Amino acid sequence: MVDLLVVSQVAKRFGRTTILEDVDLAVAAGEVVALTGENGAGKSTLMQICAGLIRAESGDVRVGGRIGYCPQSPGLFELLTADDHLVMFGCGAGISRADSLSRGHEVLAEFGFPMDDRAVTRDLSGGTRQKLNLALALLTDPSILLLDEPYQGFDRGTYVNFWDHCERWRNEGKAVVVVTHMLAELERVDRVIELPAHPSRSRHGSGR
Amino acid sequence: MMSSLRRIVIMAEMHGRDLTRRHAAIALLVALPLSFYFASMGSGATAVLAGGVGMSFSVSGATLFSILSSSEVDQRLVLGGYSPLELLLGRLLFLGPFGLMIAVSFSVLMALISHPARPLVLGLGVAVVALQSVPFGLAVGAALPRELEGTLVLIGVIGLQLSANPKSFIARILPFHSPRQIIASSLDAQGAIAAPLLQTAIYGLALLVVARVFVARRVDVRRHQSIS
Repeated sequence: MVDLLVVSQVAKRFGRTTILEDVDLAVAAGEVVALTGENGAGKSTLMQICAGLIRAESGDVRVGGRIGYCPQSPGLFELLTADDHLVMFGCGAGISRADSLSRGHEVLAEFGFPMDDRAVTRDLSGGTRQKLNLALALLTDPSILLLDEPYQGFDRGTYVNFWDHCERWRNEGKAVVVVTHMLAELERVDRVIELPAHPSRSRHGSGR
Repeated sequence: MMSSLRRIVIMAEMHGRDLTRRHAAIALLVALPLSFYFASMGSGATAVLAGGVGMSFSVSGATLFSILSSSEVDQRLVLGGYSPLELLLGRLLFLGPFGLMIAVSFSVLMALISHPARPLVLGLGVAVVALQSVPFGLAVGAALPRELEGTLVLIGVIGLQLSANPKSFIARILPFHSPRQIIASSLDAQGAIAAPLLQTAIYGLALLVVARVFVARRVDVRRHQSIS
């Protein structure tokens, strides 16, 4: 299978603290990779570098398609509804208002989002907001999915459903990276990559 | 070009929706310049100047809040296809007319109560304050992406503009000096209008450039090389 995400020798420091050092990672189309590690190991930082949100000190990231990024905490407009968010994010990718709503509703319904709820995001529960957060990452049908603990606040049913979706995305040929601490579900992924905690990190992040 | 315009309009629409759902904030936005004006009523011309320039608190405050409240989302929007400039122009497109709306109603009220020599010039001066407040709020919000620091700078700059001697150097370099001159010239029917208008336009453009530079730095997204 062809690689859709290739990370080569990526290093990142915040001040004097080395967060990532010489990290290599390659994720192929139709592959689900779990990224694990202790708190502060740099999992979220690596995801942000892959998404292009922060710059690495050195190294290189190459991608083979559109990226869908779901951050750990849903950064949303507090006084906009789910529909408002769908229209706004869809427009960025050149999707019409009607298509954004139709595609977005489809994804939201799959995760059990209360579709009749016209509440602004401030009034939604943490899990429901996270469902919207995930839907926004999926809205443009990206070929690379970077999901940073996307199931936070999900109820049990939605959580199981999420891992079922990972299998579906694999079958659709997407490259999926999921940051997770849920070791029980690691059997459902193709590969587990553990980032070592700094400062001992050296060449352990290698994916293959 | 059309898609860029569409993104700007959508951003304006969403900021409009967000702000118009903040009912208490809107009430305060309107009440703030009114309170400046009515609190200075006994001081003659000072009331119009305080109310007119004080309106910048409202509009630049709303602008500052709009940029700071969406700081987490902005970078994700850029990742999703927006450019930093489109995010800025979207805010400008909503907040400019919104500020003008408040400015017009407020000017009518002040003209009815205070009877300036040139009521239309008063309206122009207050409108210019409102328009200048948007790039000012954008620049402060972009350069100081923390609420406390941003708010303190806003209070400091506008407070200085209101309290400093208008002929002093410090008053002249502040962003609402020229709009203040226009409002002052509406009271005594003296003073130029074109020069302060031009100065305000140049200052406003410079503030927009500052906002653009800082926003681009804050929400910059690295576009990775494609796997060939």
